[in-house]
Amino acid sequence: MSDTILECRNVTKSFFGVPVLRNVSLTLKAGRVLGIVGENGAGKSTLMNILGGVLRADSGSVRLGERDHAPQNPAEAFREGIAFIHQELNLFTNLSVAENMFIAAFPKMRIVGLPLIRRRAIREKTQALLASVDLHVSAEALVEDLSPGERQMVEIAKALGADARIIILDEPTTSLSSRETQRLFGIIHRLRGQGISMIYISHNLGDVLRLCDDILILRDGRVVGEGPKEEFTLERMISLMVGRSMDQLYPSRSARPSGEIVLEVKSLSQPGIVENITFQLHKGEILGISGLMGSGRTELARILFGLDAFEHGEILLNGEPLTRCSPHERIHRGMAFLTEDRRAEGLLINASVEDNIALVSLPSFARALPGLVNRPEMLRAAGRAAKAVRLQCSSLSRQTAKTLSGGNQQKVVLAKWLLEKPSVFVLDEPTRGIDVGAKFEVYRIMDELAAKGVGIVFISSEIEELMGMCDRILVMAYGEIRRCMARTQFDKEKIFRDALMENQLP
Amino acid sequence: MTTRKGNIVLFVLNNAPLILFAAVFGGFATLSPKFLAVENLVNILVQSASIGIVATGMTFVLLTAGIDLSVGSIMFLSAAAAGKLIAGGQPVSLAFAVAIAIGVGYGAINAFFITRLKILPFIVTLSTQFAGRGLSLLITQTRAMNLPRLVEVGSSKILRIPVPVWWFGAVVVFAHVVLMKTAFGRHIYAIGNDAEGAKKAGINTTRVVFLVYVVSGLCAAIGGLVYLSRLGLVSPKLGLQREFAAIAAAVLGGTSLFGGRGKVFPGTFLGAVLIQTVESGLVFIKASEYVYPLVTSFVIFFAVFVDSVRHVKLQQLKRRRIRVAATG
Amino acid sequence: MTSSVPVRSRAVWRRLLFSEHFVLYLSVLYFLAVWPFAPRLASPRNLLDIFSNMLPLLSVAIGQTFVLVTAGIDLSVTSIIALSSVFGASVMTSDGGLLSGSILAVPAGIAVMLATGVAIGLLNGTAIARLRMPPFMVTLTTMMFFSGFAVWLTGSQKISGLPRAFVGLGVGSVGFIPYPFLIAAVLATAAHVTLSRTVVGRWIYAIGHNARAARVSGVPVNRTVVFAYAASGFCAAVASVLYTARLETGDPVLGQRILLDIIAAVVIGGTSLFGGKGKVLWTVFGVLFITLIDNSLIMLEFSHFTIMIVKGAVILFAALMDALRNRLLAAQ
Repeated sequence: MSDTILECRNVTKSFFGVPVLRNVSLTLKAGRVLGIVGENGAGKSTLMNILGGVLRADSGSVRLGERDHAPQNPAEAFREGIAFIHQELNLFTNLSVAENMFIAAFPKMRIVGLPLIRRRAIREKTQALLASVDLHVSAEALVEDLSPGERQMVEIAKALGADARIIILDEPTTSLSSRETQRLFGIIHRLRGQGISMIYISHNLGDVLRLCDDILILRDGRVVGEGPKEEFTLERMISLMVGRSMDQLYPSRSARPSGEIVLEVKSLSQPGIVENITFQLHKGEILGISGLMGSGRTELARILFGLDAFEHGEILLNGEPLTRCSPHERIHRGMAFLTEDRRAEGLLINASVEDNIALVSLPSFARALPGLVNRPEMLRAAGRAAKAVRLQCSSLSRQTAKTLSGGNQQKVVLAKWLLEKPSVFVLDEPTRGIDVGAKFEVYRIMDELAAKGVGIVFISSEIEELMGMCDRILVMAYGEIRRCMARTQFDKEKIFRDALMENQLP
Repeated sequence: MTTRKGNIVLFVLNNAPLILFAAVFGGFATLSPKFLAVENLVNILVQSASIGIVATGMTFVLLTAGIDLSVGSIMFLSAAAAGKLIAGGQPVSLAFAVAIAIGVGYGAINAFFITRLKILPFIVTLSTQFAGRGLSLLITQTRAMNLPRLVEVGSSKILRIPVPVWWFGAVVVFAHVVLMKTAFGRHIYAIGNDAEGAKKAGINTTRVVFLVYVVSGLCAAIGGLVYLSRLGLVSPKLGLQREFAAIAAAVLGGTSLFGGRGKVFPGTFLGAVLIQTVESGLVFIKASEYVYPLVTSFVIFFAVFVDSVRHVKLQQLKRRRIRVAATG
Repeated sequence: MTSSVPVRSRAVWRRLLFSEHFVLYLSVLYFLAVWPFAPRLASPRNLLDIFSNMLPLLSVAIGQTFVLVTAGIDLSVTSIIALSSVFGASVMTSDGGLLSGSILAVPAGIAVMLATGVAIGLLNGTAIARLRMPPFMVTLTTMMFFSGFAVWLTGSQKISGLPRAFVGLGVGSVGFIPYPFLIAAVLATAAHVTLSRTVVGRWIYAIGHNARAARVSGVPVNRTVVFAYAASGFCAAVASVLYTARLETGDPVLGQRILLDIIAAVVIGGTSLFGGKGKVLWTVFGVLFITLIDNSLIMLEFSHFTIMIVKGAVILFAALMDALRNRLLAAQ
């Protein structure tokens, strides 16, 4: 019988009068992995931030072992044995692994009055910690030269080095390749065996079911389900998260694709990136592109949209070739592109929602008086687009994109492109980092667009959603298309095997 | 094979400051062989000492993604104060000590506005630059001061190396050790990389940033004194626009204006010497004085251009090589 | 009942503090505070003086606003002012100028001045947009180069003997409206319309917010950035016309000292150094504030050096107010 190492009782927190956590209680036992799931805005981050010392609870208690746990800052929480590994890792890319490990507490020696860092000591200690997580990189390697998976391992090693008893992992697999994910799971198993407890937060419900011992489900700041994983199925988790049973995860497709070709790619190649890409996209078709991270899907999308160049082959949009490396031209000819990373390339995060929505179509609002924007018309159109995607936002003009949830932010990006009425829409991981409810909205919009005749390229790492939404699926690996599958032939295992086949990277 | 060509390109770009330095050096040497005389080389070091010391302090500030536009005024103020004391008969050591104290104090004032009142470094140092210059002009009444006694100090040698070069070397070595091998130095790099993350990691960012501006003030004062001891003259134009030369030297040496990247040695040291080499070279080939800013700005432009190309190329090469086997 | 009065005045204070026109109110407040000590401050002649000093500074500050909104900076404006002045004077001067004596002298001279500003601006913009070099360093080097160039061309000499028609621009008027005011007003209006109502203007804001996202969204980033710097160069050249006309000489070191004033004016007005935020109107207020400081300190008969010290302190104070305001606004 493992004992309780962390206990939260009736933790409550509000921001500006809006309650975010309501009487949340949870128990974490030694050597067990607790999975916490919930939609965006359910309170997961706030709860973890309280445990991790970033925020303080308004009321309720948190007990760590025998004592009360109320850290004033992250460093204090770290010292008390709780390591919070964020999605955006807290490593300094311009410093070495060893320096990152000891950044807050360097061992020093005095030479000529100067407190110098004891380099050999930190190097040796670091090597030992890296070995304990199976990471074979040099202690002197710069973090910027490591892959996301390696960096995550460094964070975990750092936590171990600080004798952390509890490790909180927040969306850890978002940037990992399949192999790195497997390695992470292996480390989690091993640590669990050593008596370390973990809290695992993820939108990937399948991973949570597989990996965790206990599950806690939050909705609207309240605990709506908890218990050992044996008590949960995927459907039960989703219905608890969303508050209603979801009859289907995906909307049924309302129309069939026509035979007309709207985008044609012939032997497209860019040395080192993609090789001999050939496919057609039809009007009203949703064409999925599956493959592991690093297989070249995003690179292909960027080449299609004119953000990167290509050396050989042709791209024909509505029959006419695309020649220049220019997104401007693509947009003019009717293409739209929802990028993988909405914060970096999809949104103007500090601008108003309506400025964001109107951005692509600005020239079209300036036709009457050349160059001058017809503001009322622009605002009306933005309002219509926001309604079409069912955007939840109190004021389009006064709210900035920053204040919206992930799902609503993605809707803003969609609304922006919908204003242009594209004939081809490339979506790169459109449901990444958004909750179940918002995901359904995105699928619905995709279906509506397809019904109107838009050709959609749907890139995703989740095979289930591709199988649920697409008419055909292309599987990419190593920059090439391995297979094209029609809906009737959909086979999850085959897709997976194709994606893995060539991708045996060291 | 593309990879080998890629490697050569990368090597050139990574070591651009050094290669540029060699090119400029070689160029002047061919134009006038006497350029390579030891006496001339030592002279270049002497002349670059003042701005090199100031640029070293500037490097600390730039590493935290800050900026210090007041260093020119700090140079002026400390030199003016020292000059006034010496002209009034005070011992040189006292005058120098006061000057250093002024530099540290000035830097602390900058630091206070930046860290406690949280005003942008650009604005703070732009304002104190102005006020400081006014104060210095007030002290000197816009008149030049001649201090022949100091030139003796400035041109004396220890072990056949002129005193200014010793100062330059000492400051550079000390700064290098502090930046690379002390916790304080590593914290500076961390803050430049991710200021929020540094705070979360438990680093006292307020204290580190405060000290960084004090260091800059200190180096500016030392640079002012070295300048003073070399020329023995305080003119109303002392230090005018020298902050730009200091920033240029640091950037030429590889320091990024965005913080987190850059070294004092070889970096800033080389940058300062490079700029001086260009100027000395122009004197050697007897070019008109008017040409100096033209050539200097051209060299700096070229160096920054090469750095930008390096940055772009690095991004391209780092993009995941999806089909490495194919390019073989 | 008694509680409603303090609440209302507090609300008024808050509205004033957080208003967009804050710097305007600050200027008025400052004016009223200094007036008792220097009564001549409010004399019509002095007010006119403030006004005419404002105008050239305003012109160049407007151009700087464009550039700052793109999250860039243009340090070369002072050298543009100097070089434009030299080129224009070389064309117009009756003392051996290129077109001396001809009717075309003045229009051609002005055209050359404006073209200089635009050309240097295009150079800056191209290096920044296409060669991807950092704005601070690019404009720093062009500043060094072109101010050195101006000094080299003229051998540090000023060029006098400018035609009366040109000098008239500095002092003459159309009816009651002085030429400089007309020029500055037209420039300010055009800039305001461009920035706030045109597609290019919105593109400039978008680039300041997030250049990568702007590019994906079809904004022609390179062309727009080049435009912003060309506009800055053009505005600096207009300022040069006004300064040169007023001084009646082509001066290779014209404008050297006003870089601080330009940047301080724009930033105190409220434009952010990080891009995405700024307005021409705010810059007008900022320039008013700076000019008022300068003028009032001279009126109070402070020595030249004391003025420098006080000005530095005042700018710092205004920046402090701005930082405080932003923090209070964010906390709301």
